[in-house]
Amino acid sequence: MTLSLSDPTWYPIASSEDLPYRHVYQGQLLGRELAVWRADDGNVNVWENRCLHRGVRLSIGINEGGELKCQYHGWRYANRSAGCTYIPAHPADAPARRIQNRTYPVREAYGLIWSSANDQQAFRPFAGAEGHDWFALRPMPVNAAPEDVLAALVGLAPDDQPADLLPGLAVRFGGTYYFVQPVDAGRAVIRGLLRERPADPVAALRHYNELLSKLRDRLERSASRKPAPEPLQPAYDKVSADLATMPDIAIPRGNTVTVVVKRKWTSADGVIGFELAARDGHLPTFQPGAHIDLHLPNGMTRQYSITNGPGELMSYIIGVKQESASKGGSKVLVETVREGDLLSISEPRNNFPLRRDATRTVLIAGGIGITPLLSMARFLDKSALPYELHYFTRAGETTAFRSELEALHGKVIFHTGLPRSEIGTTIAAALGQWSMAQHVYVCGPGPMLETVRATATAQGWPDESIHFEYFKNDKIIDSSSSFDVELARSAMTLHVPSGKSIMEVMREAGLTVPSSCEQGACGTCLTTVIEGEVDHQDVYLNDSEKRANSCMMTCVSRAKSARLVLDI
Amino acid sequence: MAITLYDFELSGNCYKLRLLMSILKLRYDIVPVDFYPGRQHKADWFLRLNPFGQLPVLKDDDLTLSDSGAILAYLARKYDDTGLWFPDDPAITAEVLRWHAVADDITSTASAARLALGFFYDFDVAKAQKGAHRIFRLMDEHLWFGEREGRDWLCGPAHPTTADIACFPYVMLSEEGGISRQDYPALRRWTDRVRRIPGFTVMSGVFPAGRALEEA
Repeated sequence: MTLSLSDPTWYPIASSEDLPYRHVYQGQLLGRELAVWRADDGNVNVWENRCLHRGVRLSIGINEGGELKCQYHGWRYANRSAGCTYIPAHPADAPARRIQNRTYPVREAYGLIWSSANDQQAFRPFAGAEGHDWFALRPMPVNAAPEDVLAALVGLAPDDQPADLLPGLAVRFGGTYYFVQPVDAGRAVIRGLLRERPADPVAALRHYNELLSKLRDRLERSASRKPAPEPLQPAYDKVSADLATMPDIAIPRGNTVTVVVKRKWTSADGVIGFELAARDGHLPTFQPGAHIDLHLPNGMTRQYSITNGPGELMSYIIGVKQESASKGGSKVLVETVREGDLLSISEPRNNFPLRRDATRTVLIAGGIGITPLLSMARFLDKSALPYELHYFTRAGETTAFRSELEALHGKVIFHTGLPRSEIGTTIAAALGQWSMAQHVYVCGPGPMLETVRATATAQGWPDESIHFEYFKNDKIIDSSSSFDVELARSAMTLHVPSGKSIMEVMREAGLTVPSSCEQGACGTCLTTVIEGEVDHQDVYLNDSEKRANSCMMTCVSRAKSARLVLDI
Repeated sequence: MAITLYDFELSGNCYKLRLLMSILKLRYDIVPVDFYPGRQHKADWFLRLNPFGQLPVLKDDDLTLSDSGAILAYLARKYDDTGLWFPDDPAITAEVLRWHAVADDITSTASAARLALGFFYDFDVAKAQKGAHRIFRLMDEHLWFGEREGRDWLCGPAHPTTADIACFPYVMLSEEGGISRQDYPALRRWTDRVRRIPGFTVMSGVFPAGRALEEA
């Protein structure tokens, strides 16, 4: 029998006991090295043992419970998806492209971790697997060809109990099962299971360990007399240059995912929590600060921040404010969507990335603005990074996600029902004077954002250290100007009359233009400006970005000059 | 008290002492000895300190000591007020010294392979690697059954001893000698535990471990 790199059989690759929390196990199957780790939620990850960045083994990395951090340059990958969540060399950017490590199928069953080289076969329990309290023996690595190891195991069968060969390099006699893990052409691990837990477990483990050690020594003596088989040669895909560089802007993906409303509950007075679960497997990777577009039954689209912590990909939890002045978005969600309903969401997008290299991180939330900051606090919490979270609410009953916040280990301060006059001084005290490597993240109602930005600036915080995300643009858009736009790449010049946006004019001309909020808040339609002076009317770009005049939002912003040249 | 360590930064045997002194929060001075490529450990001035011509050497006031295992025992007996690192119990002392001897065997195998591959020493690499694998197999078995029996460390007590310090560096650096630890999962888990000892410090090639779940 020759081993094949494309063998779809499921083999055991570790014992459950090999994977304590916060450990990374080094394994190998059919020539491919594996980094295997258990997240704090119990999920077992089986990944190619290679960081996408510089190829360093992830088995020497750090298991932080929800993310695995590469030891070399600190790239982080999420539990379940193996998607990259953070690149320390680009601390201010979200790794927006699909940087995702190679994962292998995994199943934990009968005291063993099972995996396969590909997903061509569904996991099937071995014959007679169900209904027993399986007991795993000490695994025995052997430097011999897997088929020779199997043959030797068959020879262990007592005379009165013939060996019963099972599919996938396995053999059984009575209640003893041996599985041979084909590590490589000349290497194997014997993984034994007993159908019943023995009366004296340690004595039984020692007995079998001695038996298998002797078998191993015999096999290795005989293997050393033969020429060593050629190791398998798995191909490692090179990382594309596309993945190895950071994008200039976050490019929206446009894909949608169907989710089921698993839970809907009142988190606080006027705030409804929704748990949106994947129908099958897990949801896409997100980073702290990311949001999804939720496509509502009435045809509207609304953005909601993900509140989850690192590696929590089985469902996204969002908070929806039941606003009286709602245009119909949250109203529809709150009033008509029920548990069990299906909804369509976009893949997560991050316009509010969190740096993880700050010496001090201040998170300031107002009302429903807590949602992205809860996610940020959870990520910082898991990495034991210092942070202070200030949460302003009108009254105690409107404090959403209180129990989730109280479960955090950082400094979480609730400011409830402060008079308007005290909010400013409280924010000023919370911020303090700026010093190197301090960052503030703020999310909340417009006036509060303005207060934080103005106070921070007055207290010496530079623009780059003030991070904010607007949910909506409260400004009144002045669309009275008229001008020409030259689309450099499309070789087309269009006239934008007063009353119409650049985006509307481009769409009328047959161009496909990505957009989401269409009010200058979400950043989806960010476009590079080549020439001309922009009349910025969005709330997405900060003041220095606006002054730079190098990009704009085509949904609301216009031209001060008679002509704009855009990179479209 | 004034401790001086005659030290080579890339030496695992010197690192053993830096590691224990870091755990015990001891202050010490370093005299760098250019082991490679300068071969200063064979220079006359060094041979007067240690005629065996081996690192490390440690001076404590007027006392001059050599051999990493012996110095570990000295530091623990003299400066560890808890008495845990080198316990004053006949059976445990024997157990610890047994593992100090294993540590020397690891030096003559795993460290020799590393010196051959990284420092151009004329050693038999294949033989050194084979010897290291033999020891790692026995350590893995010992530690695997230890986990089943509620023992986290090389010796019986419920806390680490100098035996763990003595064996750790050249196990952790084995890959620099071409010796993979893939087949020794219990040995790998033990290296996580050693790296989580309060006061642990690193050296080149020895990476920190993340926090344990209970500390998170």
